[in-house]
Amino acid sequence: MISDKTVAYIAAVHPAFEDLKQATAQLAGLLVLRQRDPQLRRSAEEAYARAMDTLNVRVPTEAKPHHAHLLKAAAQLNSALHTQHDPLPFLKAADADLRAASRILPGFPMVDFQNACCHHTHV
Amino acid sequence: MSDAYSIYVAEFANVPNYPLSGLVYGAHNQGTVRLPYCYVVIKGQGFVAMVDVGYNHKEYGAVLAEMYGARDWRSPREVLAEIGLAPEDVTHAFLTHAHFDHMGNIEDFPNATFYIQERELSKWIWAMSLERRFKWIMGGIDPADIMRCVELTRSGRLVCLDGDRENVLPGIDLHAAPDTHTWCSMWVHLRNDLAANSRNSWVFAGDLVYRKENLAPEYIPIGFAMGSQFNLVMTSDALVKAVDGDTTRVIAIHEDRLKDMFPSRANERGVRVTELARADGEPSRVY
Repeated sequence: MISDKTVAYIAAVHPAFEDLKQATAQLAGLLVLRQRDPQLRRSAEEAYARAMDTLNVRVPTEAKPHHAHLLKAAAQLNSALHTQHDPLPFLKAADADLRAASRILPGFPMVDFQNACCHHTHV
Repeated sequence: MSDAYSIYVAEFANVPNYPLSGLVYGAHNQGTVRLPYCYVVIKGQGFVAMVDVGYNHKEYGAVLAEMYGARDWRSPREVLAEIGLAPEDVTHAFLTHAHFDHMGNIEDFPNATFYIQERELSKWIWAMSLERRFKWIMGGIDPADIMRCVELTRSGRLVCLDGDRENVLPGIDLHAAPDTHTWCSMWVHLRNDLAANSRNSWVFAGDLVYRKENLAPEYIPIGFAMGSQFNLVMTSDALVKAVDGDTTRVIAIHEDRLKDMFPSRANERGVRVTELARADGEPSRVY
């Protein structure tokens, strides 16, 4: 049973989770395409900044491990954004923390199956 | 007719009751069908190629089971063993599109070179920049797959295509289908006599076709298009023309009736292999 405080926490930090996921995937995408796309990079930076703002919330005790993973993911993402070396290890670490967070509380899927083509409303 | 390649459709999971309306545009209130998840295995000319590689059960098995009733997931090692192969034997993998159930198991094929349309990846990555209200567009995409693509790129094992490519392997052509099921899906044309004007062609349609009702007696698109239904209809015509009008040779990997159309068998654990063609000297894997 999830407490009301945790439900409120889930609602509050969900946008941060999505922003961190987006920024991580975008930076990885730039590496795949070997592109220097300033607009995409700016989009990733903005998503990171939004996430940092959103993560500044009251965290109930039972959600502390979840919040810790999100903070770690954000820190890894920050390193990926500013490193002079290979950002991939930081992106993989951020992805791992997001995955860990997604397993702790409901409502944080890494893949949006609800809108996937294999969903019952459409394959 | 001499075949250059043996071709198999191998099932690795299924959904027992899937609404037909998701598969055939407009087929509302017509009940459910069994939906298999399969990949295609092509063996011959010194290569082992796959069309799509399935999804990673470790990550998604429980979620998919709960949300969709997906069941009976089997690993590539178990599935490929039914046709005398191991994941390490796979040299090439043609990814028809970027949905998790088609490219979500890259890491299980350590020696394969992967092919995908560049537009398929670049448009997904662009779409991530859109505001939250556009999130429907991102359905079915796993950020970790993009991460894996980075590593594939660096090891020279990812080929991003810009449109069609002929003879990627002898007798095997890859065709782009932009703005159809996804940003840029891809279909595979296999000329099993290796002739330029083949009389022995197969098409592997990815998710451009789900069932035979999508192709005959007239073109009815699938129930899900990121792009346009018009493009799906026109692509259907290209697929059918590639096999000289024989729609049974347009292979839809979610079509449960393939097993009734071609030689097929399932083992005691439900791993089903359907044999479409057998190269010279290759034993049957279904008899």
